[in-house]
Amino acid sequence: MKKTLGAVALIGASALVLAGCAGSSDNGGSSSEEGAEIRVWLVGTDTPQDARDYLKKTFEDENPGSTLVIEEQQWTGLVDKLTTSLSSNDSPDIVEMGNTQAPAFTSSGALLSLADIEGDLGGDDLLPGFVEAGSWDGTLYAAPYYSGARVVFYNTAMYEQAGVAVPTTLDEYVSNGVALAGALPGVSGVYFPGKDWYNALPFIWENGGEIAVQDGDEWDAQLSSDESLAGLAQVQELMTKASLAPKDGDETEGWVPFRTEQSATYSAPSWAYWSIVADEDKQPTAVADTTGYYALPGMDGGAAQVFAGGSNVGIAAKSKNPDLAKSALEIMLSDEYQTILAENGLVPALVSLGDKVAAATPELATVIAEAAANAKLTPASPNWADVEAQGIMQDLFVNIANGGDIKELATAADEQIESILNG
Amino acid sequence: MTTVPAEASAPPAPPPTSRPDPEKPKRRRFPWAPLALLTPALIMLAVFIGWPLVQLVIMSFQKFGRAQIFGAPPEFIGIDNYVAVLTDPEFWAVLGRSVALCVVSVVATMLLGVAIAVMMTKLGAVMRTAVSVSLLLAWAMPALTATIVWGWIFDTQYGLVNWVLTQVTGQNWVGHSWLIDPASFYAVAAIIITWGAIPFVAFSTYAALSQVPDEVLEAASLDGAGGFARFRLIVFPYLRSILLVLLVLQIIWDLRVFAQIYALQSIGGVRAETNTIGVYIYSVSMASGDLGAGGAISVVLVVILLAISGYWIRTMLKEES
Repeated sequence: MKKTLGAVALIGASALVLAGCAGSSDNGGSSSEEGAEIRVWLVGTDTPQDARDYLKKTFEDENPGSTLVIEEQQWTGLVDKLTTSLSSNDSPDIVEMGNTQAPAFTSSGALLSLADIEGDLGGDDLLPGFVEAGSWDGTLYAAPYYSGARVVFYNTAMYEQAGVAVPTTLDEYVSNGVALAGALPGVSGVYFPGKDWYNALPFIWENGGEIAVQDGDEWDAQLSSDESLAGLAQVQELMTKASLAPKDGDETEGWVPFRTEQSATYSAPSWAYWSIVADEDKQPTAVADTTGYYALPGMDGGAAQVFAGGSNVGIAAKSKNPDLAKSALEIMLSDEYQTILAENGLVPALVSLGDKVAAATPELATVIAEAAANAKLTPASPNWADVEAQGIMQDLFVNIANGGDIKELATAADEQIESILNG
Repeated sequence: MTTVPAEASAPPAPPPTSRPDPEKPKRRRFPWAPLALLTPALIMLAVFIGWPLVQLVIMSFQKFGRAQIFGAPPEFIGIDNYVAVLTDPEFWAVLGRSVALCVVSVVATMLLGVAIAVMMTKLGAVMRTAVSVSLLLAWAMPALTATIVWGWIFDTQYGLVNWVLTQVTGQNWVGHSWLIDPASFYAVAAIIITWGAIPFVAFSTYAALSQVPDEVLEAASLDGAGGFARFRLIVFPYLRSILLVLLVLQIIWDLRVFAQIYALQSIGGVRAETNTIGVYIYSVSMASGDLGAGGAISVVLVVILLAISGYWIRTMLKEES
């Protein structure tokens, strides 16, 4: 008994000592607006370094004494991370989120209303589809940040070597991919890892299918419809016969195999161009002179309906310095900042800057405009973020890449999606 | 900082013995000293474990979604969360998988850990130091870091394992995914978990081995007992209680394993088929934003873990008395 008591006392004493250590180091976080630190969460490497520097410098010039810190987050697991951090006392001030994830946070009170500064942010000039994604009950909570149209990059030398031309229909895109893989051993005809579900969506849409459609109050998942199944079959053919990418890999840094000449075709957001033609050290890559691009062709020619990826950006409801955060957000949506994004190949949040996109390469700008004109979104339900967070679409396409039975997999995925969207 | 607990670890001084008074019957004084010593620990436990636990239990009876996380008032829904969880076949599948992974990892950890401890008693000073340092490094490596490194070792395209297999077998293993098949995923997970847990078992057992009196062993070997018989009949009974504690701790740790599985899932594999209970709770609570259901699953897990540890602690106490 005495030993037990001694042991407990030891725990108690050490706990107190530890608590003492923790207490002394925790004296940051002043709540005054003067000389505060604004924390901005940007996701992935999408935002170019020039824009980051501009944001930090402009903010600190406009608000002497205050500092702005950019903390880079990962796309993987973002919904979980935002859920925990936005509700904590250590919440960041400004957060970027995927446009399809935004409703989960606009609908739950995690973000500050932007109604009072909507006009200053751009008002009617903001990208309409993204304003819709960032609004709840008619109030704007998450402003559009940028959009990125998906473009197909290809290796012109490899296409020549394999004797295939730029495809004009989606069927041709698939058969070309298989032909390229056959003609060039060790090279992916189309680089298509299993978790890359964004690039799989056009096949569903172009065949006339949908992910889910709203029927009154109920969502009806459509992945197992005949039209969707035809699209999924094309995806499976590409993933199994044309791609050497890991069957359970994801699409991050997909430009690496492309620029090291291990894949002939690579579909990605337009800003990937800069990672393709130059490596991390800004040195030109092996494909700098042999990179071509086209918009993914549709079923009957023309541009296919592609996924309109992009980001919204909002202010945490728990931000300790909402006024400073608002002034930082205004910088992020200023003409100057958005022009930097546009010049780096992103579609800016302000419609009036659309013609500034990727001015460095006018051909690419045309292709981006072509793709953006036909862009499409995931189901507009606040619960859609949960479908993404649980990785249901990723699991589905990993299983498809692994050669699973499409109909069975799609039926199971439909059930899960319906139970979440109607939950 | 290290000196304070050392002082406090001395057993509490016996209550000052007042002069025995033959006329009054012996009255036990209220034990203030132990209570005073206990209070800090109890406060810490109550604040950091008790209060969250209470909140968790309350939450498990509420409809607690993302809106509630950000301040909307929650609504009590009785045992609905429990009914939903316990009738969900996925929960049972996840629990079954977790138990299977736990059994494999615990058995492997205990066997290898004890074997390494025994080996360390036979090694010379230099080799023993080398083994100790290696074990210590493995123990000091955070689970997340270790999993990322193991992920590179098993990488589909550039991994060491695939390269070695290609060199050794002459077949092309590059492109073989170790995580896409759930069984293979769990094999990799078990390796990582076991690798990380062995040092603790090995060190504890090694310390316990040094308590085995040499003269008893010597007497046994004079009586003609071989190495294995000596271990089974003499060493093992000495180790028994410490091995029991280690076993309970390993079961608890491995049943609620989180970091390794979560990190492996972000590297590859099919999430729905590789969830273990810890990751499942996180996925339900955070990714789906349903803290009510997540709370219910957590409470069920707490009950299971308490049952396991309660059983073992009782067995242990019985044996000691």
